[in-house]
Parts: sequence; structure tokens; C-alpha cells
Amino acid sequence: MRTTTPVYIICSPRPLVGKTLIARLLSEFLLLKNGNVVAFDINLKEPSLLDYLPRVTETAEVDDTFGKMQLMDRLIVNDAVAKVIDLGFHAFDEFFRMSEEIGFVKEAARRGVSPVVLFVADTDRASARGYAMLQQQIPTTTLVTIDNEHVVRGELPPAMAHGRVVRIAALPVFLKTYIDRLTFSFTTYLRNEKDSSTELHQWIRKNYFGFRELELSLILQRS
Amino acid sequence: MAKPVVIVVGADKGGVGKTTVSRTLLDYFSANNVPTRAFDTESPRGTLKRFHPDLTEIVDMTTTSDQMKIFDTLNSGTPSVTVIDVRAGLLSPSLASLRDIGFLDAAKSGQITFAVFHILGPSIASLDEIAETANFMQGAKYFLVKNFINNTSFFEWDQSTYNSYFHRIKDATELTIPKLNEMAYEQVEVASVPFLKFVANKGTHDEAANYSFVLRGYVRHWLANVWSEFDRIKLTDLVGSGKPGARGEK
Repeated sequence: MRTTTPVYIICSPRPLVGKTLIARLLSEFLLLKNGNVVAFDINLKEPSLLDYLPRVTETAEVDDTFGKMQLMDRLIVNDAVAKVIDLGFHAFDEFFRMSEEIGFVKEAARRGVSPVVLFVADTDRASARGYAMLQQQIPTTTLVTIDNEHVVRGELPPAMAHGRVVRIAALPVFLKTYIDRLTFSFTTYLRNEKDSSTELHQWIRKNYFGFRELELSLILQRS
Repeated sequence: MAKPVVIVVGADKGGVGKTTVSRTLLDYFSANNVPTRAFDTESPRGTLKRFHPDLTEIVDMTTTSDQMKIFDTLNSGTPSVTVIDVRAGLLSPSLASLRDIGFLDAAKSGQITFAVFHILGPSIASLDEIAETANFMQGAKYFLVKNFINNTSFFEWDQSTYNSYFHRIKDATELTIPKLNEMAYEQVEVASVPFLKFVANKGTHDEAANYSFVLRGYVRHWLANVWSEFDRIKLTDLVGSGKPGARGEK
């Protein structure tokens, strides 16, 4: 079977919905599973992935053509190294406008690159508009809603609940503060914490399991 | 035999994108399998020739010998479409020469299909050329091309100025060429290949190239928009080749 390279785009048109947290989790999961990952931080105004995972993260921007070339020309390469993009809210519109214009999804399919858009849901109008725009552009099978319980406290907006959904449970405030430390690593915690019954241990395992499920279902779809 | 078609692309001002439009026309005809030849009047060194060397010949339209080279060969068979990229400042004199040699009369009587793509720049001086050119347009298809090389609005915000220029010639058809991303444009310049080859990631001799995917994407998107304008004005009908072909694969 032909190898494909996944490109995970974690996005939302809203700030502070947990994009960087999900990008950290996913990057660490892929690093643990594959031994490599390349993450791109397109955040100037939010907590930065680069601060958490400096060894695997590069900064990128989509404000000008040169920045777009540097980012997209890397993403379109089928090199079997999974990519994770932490797309800041300020870059949401421009990134997808450019993707549409240059035909990223079609060209990616042609080259064996599989973009997967992980849209972090919220209940506001900007999120509804952003999700509707993505529905026009991204195939349903590769548009995934992230239901971050910390953000959407209750039911997902109906439009976002139709397709594939990955749920991220809310953590108690003290654990949230704990994982927000720049030196914290999810995988290191799993390896070092002997008591697998702790809430954080289970939370990390559940999220890693969710990513594995997502990855498998995407592989099955492609085959 | 198909009726010969002559398309003149010109403006009296420089830097408004005449050669760019000529290049898109050659790409369009190539994609639609319309055999085409081109003349570049930027003698002695032609820009169009640099991008389409196989199709293009450099001529000096002010000389009788080169006028003969273009117009005396119109009926000699394929290709039936001739695109002439007229150097800046030469549009009105060229049209006057065509009138003098009886070419415009032949177009008027339907022996030849004649079209002028008048490329407009974003200035009143550029718009003033419309009146000058209008005198020669009987029997010709006249296309006023608004080439958005920058963020100009072609005076659309001032309706009376706009109307006084754009509605001056009866039956003139307006055409819009959108703006191409600057870096993409420059990269194609550096590559010196037709837009089609750039999109297909090919070099001058059809060898595999390594152009930026982003820039290729911008060019593909822009070219599709330009071609949809050509489709809108039914350019393939004008040159007698029917509907635009299945060019998706290109």
C-alpha cells in the first residue's frame, strides 16, 4: 500500500479554545508512536506550541507569500513524517483562503498527503461561520470536530455534531494548571507515573487512544 | 479552409500587461487545441518570444517586409489564428498601417476575423487611447481589457468618468484580468516558461521542474479566472473552433 503522510491542522477562528493543548497532545502522541513529528506553530497572539515542544516545532506564518511558500511547500511533501499545525485564530481565514486558492486538498491527495482538519468547536457565531466555510472546502471524512469540554460546556452546536467528533474531557483546575507548565510532557508523565489510576494518567491515555482511533479510521477510509 | 483570425494585443502605454495578456491567450489556445502563431513587435528582443519561442517570431511592424510576413501569409493554411503583441506606443500607428494596406476593409467585409485586445492601464492617459483607437474599430471585435496589475478601480467609483470612457465605443466588450500574486508572477518570469508549463511544474524543454507549490497554485487559480473571462466572451467561437475543449487535464 502506498505510504501517506498525515497533516493535522488544528484550528478555530476563536482564541483560547485549547488549540495549543490539542496540538501538544497530538504531537506528543505521534512522537511516541512514530518516533518523529514536525509541528508548525502559527500563533503570534496565543500560548505558543513552540514554548512547549521546541525540539519538534517550527514557527510559520501565512501573512505574506514567502511565509506561505515556506509552510505549504513543506506540507505538500509525502515524506512519511506526520505534521501538526497549530493554527492561530488570527490566521484561520487567511490559511483556508490560501488553501482553497492554491488547491491544497486536491494536490495533497495527488501526492499522497492526507490533510485532516481538527476544528475546535465553540458556540459563538465566528465558530459557526468558520465551520460552515470548512464544510464547503474540506471533505466530510477529514473534517473532525474537537469537542473540548472545557470550552463547550454542554451540547455541541448541531451543525458540528454530524461528522466525526473527538471529545476532550475537562480537567479539574489544579490539573489544568499542572499540565500548562512549559516543562510538562504528557508522555513523560505516562512513563514516570506508576499509578495508572490517577485522573491525569487516564485523561492522557484516553486522549491518546482517541487519536489512535482517529488515525486508524482515516487509514481504513483511504485503503 | 477556416477564416483567418488576427488578434492584436496592444496599448499605447507601456507596462500595462500587454505581453502577459498575449501569453494567456497563447496558453488558452494551446489548451483548446487551436493552432496559433504569434508575432512579437518588441524588435529586436521580444518578451513574448522568450516565453513562447516555438510559436513566436519577432517582427518590426513599421517595416513593409515584416508587414508582408504577417499579413501576406494569413491565407496560407494553418495555423489560422495569429496573435500580434504590439509594442507600447505602436497600437494606433499599427492600426493606421492596417487601414492603409486594406486589412481593416477585409475585416469589415468578413474575409478576416479581426479582434483587438486593448489593454488599459489605471490612468486617464490610458483611457484617452480608447477614443483614438475607436476610429479604427469598424469591422473589428473590440475588447477593452481592464488589467488589474495593481489595486486600481478604473474609476468605477466615479460613474460619469467611467461611462465617458468605457461606454464611448458601441459594441466594445469589457474584459477583466485579475491581479496575479507578485511573487508568482516573478517566479514565472524567472522560469521563462508559459503559464501552463509553470502550473504543470515543467521547465523550458518539458523537463520536471521544482517550482513552489504555493506559487503554482496561485498561477493556476489566476489562469483559470483569466480563461473563464475568455470563455465568457466566447473566444473559441470567435476563432471558429467551437466550444472550449476538455482542457481540465492540462
